[in-house]
Amino acid sequence: MKYKVDSLSFSYKDLNILNNISFEINSGEAVCLIGPNGSGKTTLLDCVMGLHIPQQGAVTVEGRNVLDFSRKDLARFVSYLPQTHMPMFPYTVREMVLMGRSAYSGVFGQPGADDEKFADEAISSVGIESLALRQYTSLSGGEIKLVLLARALAQNAGLIVLDEPTASLDLKNEYEFLETLFSLIRERDISVLMATHSIEQAFRFEEAGISAETLMMRKGREPLKGAPSDVITSGSIGEVFGVSALISTATGESGRQFRSVSVTGKAD
Amino acid sequence: MRKVKTKNKLNPVLTLMLIATPLLLVFVSLFFGRYSVSPANVCSALLRPGSVSPAVLTVVRQLRLPRAIAAAFVGASLSVSGAAFQSIFRNPLVNSGILGVSNGAGFGACLAIVFLGGGLTVYFSSFAFALLAVVLSWFAGRVSKVTSTVSLILGGAMVSAFFSALISIMKFLADPYSQLPGITFWLMGSFASINYSHLTAVIPMALGILAVFLSRWKINVLSMGDKEAASLGVDVRKYKLLVITGATVATASAVCISGTIGWVGLVIPHIGRMLIGNNNSKLIPVSISLGACFMIVMDLIARSLTSSELPIGILCAVIGSPFFVYLLKKKKGGTVS
Repeated sequence: MKYKVDSLSFSYKDLNILNNISFEINSGEAVCLIGPNGSGKTTLLDCVMGLHIPQQGAVTVEGRNVLDFSRKDLARFVSYLPQTHMPMFPYTVREMVLMGRSAYSGVFGQPGADDEKFADEAISSVGIESLALRQYTSLSGGEIKLVLLARALAQNAGLIVLDEPTASLDLKNEYEFLETLFSLIRERDISVLMATHSIEQAFRFEEAGISAETLMMRKGREPLKGAPSDVITSGSIGEVFGVSALISTATGESGRQFRSVSVTGKAD
Repeated sequence: MRKVKTKNKLNPVLTLMLIATPLLLVFVSLFFGRYSVSPANVCSALLRPGSVSPAVLTVVRQLRLPRAIAAAFVGASLSVSGAAFQSIFRNPLVNSGILGVSNGAGFGACLAIVFLGGGLTVYFSSFAFALLAVVLSWFAGRVSKVTSTVSLILGGAMVSAFFSALISIMKFLADPYSQLPGITFWLMGSFASINYSHLTAVIPMALGILAVFLSRWKINVLSMGDKEAASLGVDVRKYKLLVITGATVATASAVCISGTIGWVGLVIPHIGRMLIGNNNSKLIPVSISLGACFMIVMDLIARSLTSSELPIGILCAVIGSPFFVYLLKKKKGGTVS
């Protein structure tokens, strides 16, 4: 499955947000979007989901423009994990995950036995079987993200779009969420497009052996693009985020190397 | 951490109960009323119409039966519309009148009573203005090509307030002896004047209920919000329009024969949520049945409790509100997050 963003430009009225953005995501690969607030990460995700009409360029799935898909057809290729999420009504976890099967039901359809099987399978593949009958609104932040991930899996789309999936998660939950995501990418050849404020997460993909092209978004200008270690440098962070930063490498017990970003002050 | 049933569908026993209970209540309500008819005569009136006096026949077949049927459909319409609106507007405080249906219908009825001589014009006028109010709310809430949830609710609030003011003007203009009582009674709701000709309104009510019923699982998805629902593969605009149209037609047809009964559309869905959970696949059928049962019983009480009939809108609130508070305490909330 090939997802392609081709010289995409988008502005809100006169405000230019996305400028000439191109990248491809193949099966089993990830693309990370990093950049300051308001740099256009969410806008780009919306364009990929066919929610905005770009002024120039296009997003294509297998060569077909996302805007030419019906919502139902597109949902079979692209699923979405929202940033914040608190529904008004306490559905059970299983009911939430089952909603991932909407794209496979008829106009007035109800989910069938097949869909229930898909939902149960998605629930167990992220390891939350014990939560299945709990009310979604009673879960912790980390659990909620896993439920949403299960729902995206139940949708059985080749690409999962994630908007800040680990914002507001504690260290352990963040680690577990990413590990679950990595194993899904490896085992199922899923593609991932992820916007994140935590720059170091781009390194985590690389360290886990998953190809993760990284786009450092610059509002209205072309993003910096390349492998995480090429894009994330003290120079680029200084220019784009306006802070001076050090990139350091620590070596773990098994010899694995971990990179981190430390902000040392404002950029000059 | 309440455990809720796993399956997405109602079990067959419950389904049967949901269908049988309102039918049974319609039947039971034929036996009660101010004009005393013996149970044997009620059965004869139904099975062997030739064998009973014309008065008994009229009471059972022409008065009690159409009334019970109308009450069942009105209750079901108000309740299911409320449940659907709460979910698609992502707001548990919303009721069936949220988009101005009730006040629009009220104004239409007043207008007909004051200027068109009352009678049948009341039904047509209230139905027409109920629909008009919702269309106005839709356009009032439509900001730059999109109709967002919040702007739609605000639009509905504005249109409701507008028609509420117009109702006051009508009351002010009405003749205090010949017209004002009619307006007041209409606004309090009643099934007193129902006969078979009013049951024409059952057709649009049934169609509206059906539209919501068929979309019931998609209503779950719509309650996730527009962006998420779209990403899950649901054409948000199309389904919202279908559900709102269905709920509106059902409510407008209900209100035009019963008058304003505002309370049912808010609380019956919540009682349903307490009993069966929030999954609309189950909540929608439960709301339909509960609404129907509740309204049949309320109407039965309204016409048999005292020598002069009680307005049903008032009765619903007087009996229903304490009952709801009781449920709320017993279940410790739990209908919403």
